[in-house]
Amino acid sequence: MNPSALSRQNELNCSTSGSGCIVDCGTSNLCVSELSVFYRDHSAVRDVSLNIPTNEITAIVGPSGCGKSSFLHSLNRLTDLIPGCRVTGSIRLCDGTEITHPQADILSLRRRVGIVFQRPNPFPQSIRRNFEIPLKEHGWHNRDIPDRMEAVLRDVGLWDEVSDRLHKSAIALSGGQQQRLCIARALALDPEVILFDEPCSALDPIASGVVEDLIHSLKGKVTVAIVTHNLAQARRIADHAAVFWVRDNAGALVESGPAARVFSDPLDPDAALYLSGARG
Amino acid sequence: MPTLAPPQKRRVFPVLGDRVFGAFGMAAALLSFGLFAWIVWDLARLGFPQLSWGYFTGEVEDSGRAGGIGPLLVSSLLILVCCLGLVIPLGVGCALWLSEFVKRRSVAARLVTGGVDLLASVPSIVFGLFGMVFFGQVLGMGFSILAGGLTLACMILPILVRTTLSALESLPADLRPAAAALGLTNTTAIAKILLPAALPGIVIGITLGIGRALSETAALIFTSGYSIRWPETLGDSGRSLSVHIYDLALNVAGGNTMAASSALVLLALILLVNSVAVALSEHWLRRRHQTP
Repeated sequence: MNPSALSRQNELNCSTSGSGCIVDCGTSNLCVSELSVFYRDHSAVRDVSLNIPTNEITAIVGPSGCGKSSFLHSLNRLTDLIPGCRVTGSIRLCDGTEITHPQADILSLRRRVGIVFQRPNPFPQSIRRNFEIPLKEHGWHNRDIPDRMEAVLRDVGLWDEVSDRLHKSAIALSGGQQQRLCIARALALDPEVILFDEPCSALDPIASGVVEDLIHSLKGKVTVAIVTHNLAQARRIADHAAVFWVRDNAGALVESGPAARVFSDPLDPDAALYLSGARG
Repeated sequence: MPTLAPPQKRRVFPVLGDRVFGAFGMAAALLSFGLFAWIVWDLARLGFPQLSWGYFTGEVEDSGRAGGIGPLLVSSLLILVCCLGLVIPLGVGCALWLSEFVKRRSVAARLVTGGVDLLASVPSIVFGLFGMVFFGQVLGMGFSILAGGLTLACMILPILVRTTLSALESLPADLRPAAAALGLTNTTAIAKILLPAALPGIVIGITLGIGRALSETAALIFTSGYSIRWPETLGDSGRSLSVHIYDLALNVAGGNTMAASSALVLLALILLVNSVAVALSEHWLRRRHQTP
């Protein structure tokens, strides 16, 4: 499919997805339309349409329990792991791959859309094994793995700290180092999108700053969607912002657009109060 | 407004209760250790003088009143190998299925855990009779090391299933999403991440099982039999050390001191297996948590 056709198709997607578009869909890596997430009968997220622009940072903010994490986890089908969880609607990657399709190749999908969790979760094995296991799974040759590992560890600024202890356990690293390791591990698979689920909230302020800078540095290289409770952090790093709020007992997208506009001049009254710090 | 004083409980002997309680605990602890020390002392007093290199390598003579326990050590070891060969894949597989493949509250899972727990409360003599009929007669193994080992495997299966299950369940909950998020298959996640992480717990389960298997008598009398010859194949009958102790103590007049010698060897063997397993587990845990 040539780029212009792709762009046309994305525009079509966008026109069906209502008013949720942040920017022109032609530059979006993930086009989400009318996405709902249910836990048994309860709906956690209702009818969210949002485009996540390519190689830019989209911050998803909102009070607790408004469905931000459920939304984020549905973007790479981690919701499949939760018994009783059901997702409806459409999530398309830029090449037209439908993520919500029941027959979608989940394993390769999760390689393309990586995720970093709130708590760092390295495997309780050596730093090297943390890269070998996923890279081998996705078909990398043994001889290529050390170079790949070094490259991504350099990208996250961890190489100089760990290059002489790659055989040592990953869970003996500090919290901030572990989180950077997890980011490197996600980057190693060469994803198009990385989702961050409050990546700094379990870290001390200094480690949090390092990880935030790291996420900021990913801009232009990979598409980032980050859920955060830290509005100051969202202001500092986001190009685009989406505000979730609870409407009729379900999480809903109430405001989205370029970060500067959303933070300075929100249209939705709840979003305005939340972003000004008066509520939430 | 008068201030309310907290109610004062009158304690006649405020410290006495603590002292009595502490003394009782200490007495219980001393008694427990004393029991162990007494058994070891008694076995050592009676059994140690007979121990020599020849005792470990020699054949049983005069119904066990003289000679050594060479063939019995080999038989015991072979029975153990047969037992572990069956129980490790069976027990670990069952625990994996329960923890990773079915919902905990499903009927199937409850049936299996219930069955395994019931198995744990079956007396070992019942296992012996079952093994004699099933392995010995139905499967035609007769009195053999293989039949004895497989019977023991059935007996220690619940121990291994339970310990492996609790090892898997005590793993950090975020390992599974971490593996899934990287696009790993279930097989890779289990084989390369969950099982290695649960290994210390599994090894402890195997150790407990070995201790139980080495000391088992009733399940072996009717399955691996009494033969004191050097075993040549797994189809041969072979007497285990525990059966030998039972036989010497009960059926052989004047066999008491030799029974004590064998018991001493058995005790030492079990202690050895335990300390190796504990050392291994600690080594793995230390390697996992060592500061880089």
